[in-house]
Amino acid sequence: MKLFLLTLLPLSLFAHMNVAVSYPYIGAITKAIAKEHVSITVLAKGNWDPHFVVPRPSLISKLRRSDALIMNGAQLEIGWLPPLIRRSANVKVQAQAKSFLNLSAQLELIQKPKSVDRSLGDVHPDGNPHFHLNPNNILRLAQVITGFLSALDEEHKVIYEKNLEEFYLFWQEELKVWEKRMEPKRGMKVIQFHDNLAYFNAAYGLNSIGTIEPLPGISPSSRHTLSLIKAIKEQKACCILHDVYHSTKTAEYLVNKTGIKLVIMPHDIGALDSVESLKGLFDYLTKAVSDD
Amino acid sequence: MKKIITVAACAAALLQAEVVGVKPVQERSFVQSQYIPDISLVFDASYASRNKDQDELAGIVIPGISEDVFSQGEGDGHGHSHSAYSSNNGFNLNYAELIFSANVDPSFSLDAIFHFTEDEIGIEEAYFTNTTLADGVRIRGGKLLSDFGRLNKQHPHFWDFNEAPLIYEGFLGYNHLNELGVQVQYTLPLDEYVMIGAELFQGQNEKSFGNESIALATTVDSVEIESAPAPSMFVGYLKTSFDIGNTTIMPGVSYVYGQSRLHHDHGGHEVAFDGKSSLYNAEFTIKHYFDSYSFLTWQSEWMHLDREGDEYHAEDPALPIEKEAQRIKQEGYYSQLVYAHDQNIRIGARYESIYKNDYAFIEETLPSKPFKKYTAMAEYHFSEFSRLRLEYIHNNALYKEGAIGFESEDVNTLLLSVNFSIGAHGAHDF
Repeated sequence: MKLFLLTLLPLSLFAHMNVAVSYPYIGAITKAIAKEHVSITVLAKGNWDPHFVVPRPSLISKLRRSDALIMNGAQLEIGWLPPLIRRSANVKVQAQAKSFLNLSAQLELIQKPKSVDRSLGDVHPDGNPHFHLNPNNILRLAQVITGFLSALDEEHKVIYEKNLEEFYLFWQEELKVWEKRMEPKRGMKVIQFHDNLAYFNAAYGLNSIGTIEPLPGISPSSRHTLSLIKAIKEQKACCILHDVYHSTKTAEYLVNKTGIKLVIMPHDIGALDSVESLKGLFDYLTKAVSDD
Repeated sequence: MKKIITVAACAAALLQAEVVGVKPVQERSFVQSQYIPDISLVFDASYASRNKDQDELAGIVIPGISEDVFSQGEGDGHGHSHSAYSSNNGFNLNYAELIFSANVDPSFSLDAIFHFTEDEIGIEEAYFTNTTLADGVRIRGGKLLSDFGRLNKQHPHFWDFNEAPLIYEGFLGYNHLNELGVQVQYTLPLDEYVMIGAELFQGQNEKSFGNESIALATTVDSVEIESAPAPSMFVGYLKTSFDIGNTTIMPGVSYVYGQSRLHHDHGGHEVAFDGKSSLYNAEFTIKHYFDSYSFLTWQSEWMHLDREGDEYHAEDPALPIEKEAQRIKQEGYYSQLVYAHDQNIRIGARYESIYKNDYAFIEETLPSKPFKKYTAMAEYHFSEFSRLRLEYIHNNALYKEGAIGFESEDVNTLLLSVNFSIGAHGAHDF
């Protein structure tokens, strides 16, 4: 929690740039690359639904004074960031500016629908946007952010690149630890509330067999819940991997009916008080799933 | 074996050729479909049940404030076509709003909102916004909803209740401040949100502002009121916001000043007004979030209207036109509480009052007790894009003109309304 507050401090003494980022995980990567050379403002809180951030006017003031903006993209921010960007009337954070970075454009997204229709729920037309939950993608994102910061602040390019190298080595070691921890869980069948762990599941071979919401963005229905009970029993799903922001009411009902395990899975730094860093996030996730 | 491979290769080559034949959309040279603006349609309909039938509703007024409260939308001759929503007993198609929005080029964006009612189309808003002028300055021009007060700029589908508050309908009419002109807003470079804005408008509000010449005549007399130079309306405001934990507090003050050339015909009794009006607004919103989906909002606005000028009465064709010095002071507020339990369920209540209604000159005696209105609502949201709302309204601001003056006519309304939106609908401001 302390670290989260630290990242919210407006101007550090050494900073050349104020960089606004939509979510805490982007702030953490940026911090790892830029260290004291930029001050970072995180717009969304880590413990709330990333789709439904409250566009409070104080965020306009934060964007108003930012030199750059890094967002997740793939429509994750569609419900809250555009009016803030417009209201800030700050050229540097407009989508066409070179000081604006859309991370989703730099990765291959999965689950990109061939066609979209709202009768299928609130589908993300560009594909699943929760890509940061594959820890391998973090390296790619760090690389992209390094390039972005270097282009804006060429003077410190060497420092950013050196920090990237350091981060790369550190992360490679962690990846091995997580890989080893998750190896025995490959092929395990899981249930989620919303498919926000798609990339995590893909990275470690977990098999998601259903979501508690019948369609993306649509609240649980009793008919769908009954079909889940059947699926859990038939396919012997091991656990419900549940986000921190939806009510666990339906999940608890499923636990009651089937004896399935309920595991709370933080989606970002600050989602749980104990998750204070990017490494901490994946430590928590991999431990939560592999603990028997 | 060799033959098979050759055949397969040929088939593959053929397939390949076919694929090359039709290029993907993005490679066809002149296709512009990628440039289609964001388009959305908002639909609003309702079923109303009241304790009075349609004929009884026809002559109902708020004395000194509003004529024809349940109007069927004859408009004011300036392309405004709103009537009171859900004013018919039974089924109402309130509106369908078609919204277009896109960037024009690197410097501007353009928004247009077309308001369709059953028989009419109006341009609700059509304005450009600068996108590159730096440093917190935002300029808009065209036809737009003023940022005066809290509710004025919000489109009805974003309101928490079906009807606009009495102070809005009474002082600004069904269209509110929806004017032709320019808007400049500046967000100060501070830690807290502080925004100042100024708007210059043509000044054609159906209720309080106007600048066109007026001619009054009886058989023995005539009066010509000269037009006022347009633009004739100015709006200014200061809005601020700060957070305390998960609570956002948003106070603001707004002011409108403009020429009031107003002309009304009360069944053969013509009244013309030549003067100026000032409207003051203070708003206060406090919103607390319990989690991502559940919140409690307390929102209030207070308004004070001050209109001064000459009032002309042409009542009897055989008599001269009477001129009176007029000064009108009216004051009221609304206060509402809305609780969202989760993404699906919301409940709310609103209390309103217009407690000051002073005329320097008036022929009838106005009711002395404040005009009050009570509303309660419950909503079910099937998704972000569809909503069912049940609302109960007890309105005791309503009167009928009887033989011995105004007689109170309380109207109770039970409303069931639906609101849907399709297409690419942009996110709303806070």
